[in-house]
Amino acid sequence: MRKMLKIYAPFSINEIKRQLAYKGAFYLWILVNIFGSFISYYLWMAVYGSAETGVLGGMTRNEMVVYVFMAYVTGSMVNISISKTVSDDIVKGTVSMNLIKPIDYRMSLIARAVGDMVYQFLLPGIFIWIGLEIYRVQVLGEQIVSITTILWYLISVVMSFLIYVLFDFCFGMIAFFTTYIFGMTMAKNAILSFLTGQLIPLSFFPEGVQKVFDFLPFSSMIYTPVMIYLGKYTGSELVFVLLRQAVWVLILYAAGSLIWRKVTTRLVVLGG
Amino acid sequence: MIEVKHISKDFVSAKKYPGLKGAIKGLFSNEKIVKRAVEDISFNIADGEIVGYIGSNGAGKSTTIKMMTGILNPTSGECLVNGVNPSKNRKQNAQNIGVVFGQRTQLWWDLPLSESFTILKEIYKVSDEEYQERMEFLNRVLELEKFFTSPVRTLSLGQRMRADLGAALLHNPKVLYLDEPTIGLDLVVKDNIREAIREINQKYNTTVILTTHDIGDIEELCSRIIIIDEGKKIYDGSLAALKEEYGTVRTVTMEVKSIEKLQEVNLAKEFDVAPKQCRVELDREKNTCQVVFDKHKVQVPQILSRIMEVTEVKDVQIQETELAEIVKAIYRHENGEAVL
Repeated sequence: MRKMLKIYAPFSINEIKRQLAYKGAFYLWILVNIFGSFISYYLWMAVYGSAETGVLGGMTRNEMVVYVFMAYVTGSMVNISISKTVSDDIVKGTVSMNLIKPIDYRMSLIARAVGDMVYQFLLPGIFIWIGLEIYRVQVLGEQIVSITTILWYLISVVMSFLIYVLFDFCFGMIAFFTTYIFGMTMAKNAILSFLTGQLIPLSFFPEGVQKVFDFLPFSSMIYTPVMIYLGKYTGSELVFVLLRQAVWVLILYAAGSLIWRKVTTRLVVLGG
Repeated sequence: MIEVKHISKDFVSAKKYPGLKGAIKGLFSNEKIVKRAVEDISFNIADGEIVGYIGSNGAGKSTTIKMMTGILNPTSGECLVNGVNPSKNRKQNAQNIGVVFGQRTQLWWDLPLSESFTILKEIYKVSDEEYQERMEFLNRVLELEKFFTSPVRTLSLGQRMRADLGAALLHNPKVLYLDEPTIGLDLVVKDNIREAIREINQKYNTTVILTTHDIGDIEELCSRIIIIDEGKKIYDGSLAALKEEYGTVRTVTMEVKSIEKLQEVNLAKEFDVAPKQCRVELDREKNTCQVVFDKHKVQVPQILSRIMEVTEVKDVQIQETELAEIVKAIYRHENGEAVL
């Protein structure tokens, strides 16, 4: 385990350094994202303002504020796309440069994604989070979130991250067959923003649809950790959703290994 | 020790048809095209050898290298690098090899070169002392320190190639694969790279397998060459033997005082050899006489003395057939005689 850490930690650290090399793009990206979550915030406030009851989809107005911003914070840590790297590596043939090294390709990608995740968490994630908590206590007059909730939330986020990355790895493999996945990436992002609950809390969907979502890995990506943060799950229900996440991590890990093994035996390194 | 045993590689691709109609037809057809890139190639390479692996574009050089490094799986046959099968134990094999693909880089594009080296140090588990020693050596032969802290994307091609070579050697691999390491480099950098490869080979007894289109690389580095064409091995032996076997043609060019007097001379007949084993070409404008001959049949002094009997010779040039010519001839599926 320590050996693994020694080999793959530099990938994470370097990813952070790489991000720092393109500061401008990064700040622009943050700006665009924060802008997006504020749009979402005002939209929901308008919805609540015109609603007759104070509770929509099982959520109060104040909970919705937390949901919107925590979905953003969670999303910035969880939605670390590696499929673009995978498909680029495949299409440009740079995957071969990874295969000549005594490392596991997927592990190196995950390590890089971890670097990204940490970076996104520190900047801007944690600031928005703190800002939200201050707003909650000062303006909304609520209790500050408890340490145990934060702990459960963070555990859930780590698993969400793994689910997302492992899923995205499998998704990126499509490039081995189609050699181009840009269009599919667009479709994936659109579908995921729905299915993960990033756009609309899943509790807004009809009962039957929610049942289906429960069977998919996507609800575990963002909806679950945010709902944990909101304190919507307690006791055995909390254990259940966390276990469900763990199961998805295992399933997607196994699926990724299987596809990777299949794919590398028929690997065609493109170009030169 | 590298053993390649009857290795073959097929590439299967879906059949494509031309035009829009063809594209639609392609959607429904399931026809496959099998292209055999490498066909039944076998060879052994001993430790410490520098082997030039050459062939025309698309001959299957890179494919073979990729199979030896474990990137591609052979369709049939197997290869063993120091007893390890690269396609089965890719990671174990990767620990003992260094690879430079001239057209790609294994360095982290956005980061300073030094960062790439730190990562590689961890990946290959190079100890601090070894790292120190290796870096001193690499700095000496490749002069890395000048751009060691610059981001890789800002390096010139020559610098990047040196950096890539350094990166491939950091863990002191037993086998070094170089796929066109001098592509696109100027003469000075080429010389440096060649010098570095030679020194590495001598100091660490590293086995080097080199593919190139640059005949200079081969002449300066390789004691042995393997030539492949259309996926098949067509030559495997020493460079000297190749020259001996195929390069029997020599050319003597003489600048003479009076070219007219030479018109009557028929050297082939006089030396009693076939006309194409000793051919005379006269250039009236430059006043030169060129004799192309088989060096096993006719000697230079014979020709010179005969020509000097007829007219005064001002200048003489003797040319050996260059390796480039031999290789060109082989690529064109000709034998040595056809160079005449």
